Amino acid sequence: MAKQGWEDSEFPILCETCLGDNPYVRMTRQGFGKECKICGRPFTIFRWTPGAGMRMKKTEICQTCAKIKNTCQTCVLDLEFGLPVQVRDSVLNVQQVVPQSNVNREFFVQNAEREMGNQSLVDYGKADSAAKEVLKKMTRVEPYYKRNKPHICSFYVKGECKRGDECPFRHELPVANDLSNQNIKDRYYGQNDPVAQRMLNRTDKPNKLGQPDDKAITSLFITGVEADITEQDLRNHFYPFGEIKSVVVVHKSKCAFINFATRSAAEQAVEKAYNNCNIKGHVLRVQWGKPRPQGPKGDSQTEGGGGSSSSSGGAGPSGSGSGSSSGQMSLDDLLKMPAMLPPPGAVPSVYPSMDPTSFGTTSRDYRA
Amino acid sequence: MPKVKRGRKEPPEGWDLIEPTLEELNRKMREAENESHEGKRKVEALWPIFRLHHQRSRYIYDIFYRRKAISRELYDYCLKEGYADANLIAKWKKTGYEKLCCLRCMQPRDTNYGTTCICRVPKDNLEEGKIIECLHCGCRGCASGS
Repeated sequence: MAKQGWEDSEFPILCETCLGDNPYVRMTRQGFGKECKICGRPFTIFRWTPGAGMRMKKTEICQTCAKIKNTCQTCVLDLEFGLPVQVRDSVLNVQQVVPQSNVNREFFVQNAEREMGNQSLVDYGKADSAAKEVLKKMTRVEPYYKRNKPHICSFYVKGECKRGDECPFRHELPVANDLSNQNIKDRYYGQNDPVAQRMLNRTDKPNKLGQPDDKAITSLFITGVEADITEQDLRNHFYPFGEIKSVVVVHKSKCAFINFATRSAAEQAVEKAYNNCNIKGHVLRVQWGKPRPQGPKGDSQTEGGGGSSSSSGGAGPSGSGSGSSSGQMSLDDLLKMPAMLPPPGAVPSVYPSMDPTSFGTTSRDYRA
Repeated sequence: MPKVKRGRKEPPEGWDLIEPTLEELNRKMREAENESHEGKRKVEALWPIFRLHHQRSRYIYDIFYRRKAISRELYDYCLKEGYADANLIAKWKKTGYEKLCCLRCMQPRDTNYGTTCICRVPKDNLEEGKIIECLHCGCRGCASGS
């Protein structure tokens, strides 16, 4: 019954995320149910629900098209890395040109089908390992099931959904941004894919961190320190760059300080670990620390009751302190900070704890 | 639907007691039949019909089997005249089907995975806080336990 080129398959080619979290997924199969959204030939449709509270999913492109690009049949993301085709191709620098005009494409697909059999046309073996490392770094560690959530209710958006709580669609307003205009063909061919462009922009950022002028700074400020990363883990990770004087971990605000004994060790650590620091599967961000303030200071403006003498409040703790970039932090700043970093500039440069007067050293007359 | 009445027998005793209720339900049914389908989803169109059909059969079932207020002859007469659905009532007499909403909802052969309708699932077994409306008759849950 199958005509030439019509796909009749027993099992879909899918990624982990699309299958959902339930290992006992039930699927229905419909032969020649729809035309492939890429090549337009009839193919076998599989339908299933990826876990509770998710929408029904189905295969969208035929297996031949999926194998040509090594993608999932439903989400058209790469099977090995879970990344958009455009990201994979531009990082690996492989160009798998699939013709887009009708006759050419049919001819190409027919030939590809005969050629590849059960394998994919994309061959990772040839790609260089550095590029593969880059891709691995961009890959999600865990499947992203939010992708399977129901679509937004179009009636709700218009303000006329009458189904209320029974409505199986999501009652949320859509966010209009550059990601809202995607289409499956562009994603498959790897052109004008807004998601890919955003991901590539993120990795194109400069891979170096400048050095602070103050040569006394030998400490690094690490953010993204999750609860299962211990001080010893950090020591082990940063020991190769040079002798470590001390390590301070603040799990509450998910960050840590590493004080090196020498400046050269710190510089080397920044060079090696900036944008490239991964402990126990968590990505850590590395920045230069801020020098520890020295010398007595007046009352701070931020202090609750004693806001009267704020004459010296505006000046920084030391020469480089107040004017420094947000990339430089000190431990004192840190202990005062909420768990999430405020935007640069929002952090006042003077803290009560920098003030020796608050620890009993009196420089003022309190008799009044 | 009651059949066209042609030269029928005299109804059994007690008919005038239940007649007003049945007439009222009949009137509602005619209204539901003539109602416009504008603005309704495709599956929603038949929901009021199913609901009234259930209600009418339930009424006869209740007064005969539960309250035992009518005679056997009158009950048979109602079934014969089509005021109640004998097949649906037959299911209500079985354990587990005491509240069955309609016959389609218990038919596993009509579904993809060979299961019954979602409205047959007890509330405890559903996800917490999930509200369902079944596709066939708009039932919101007819499992015996809930």
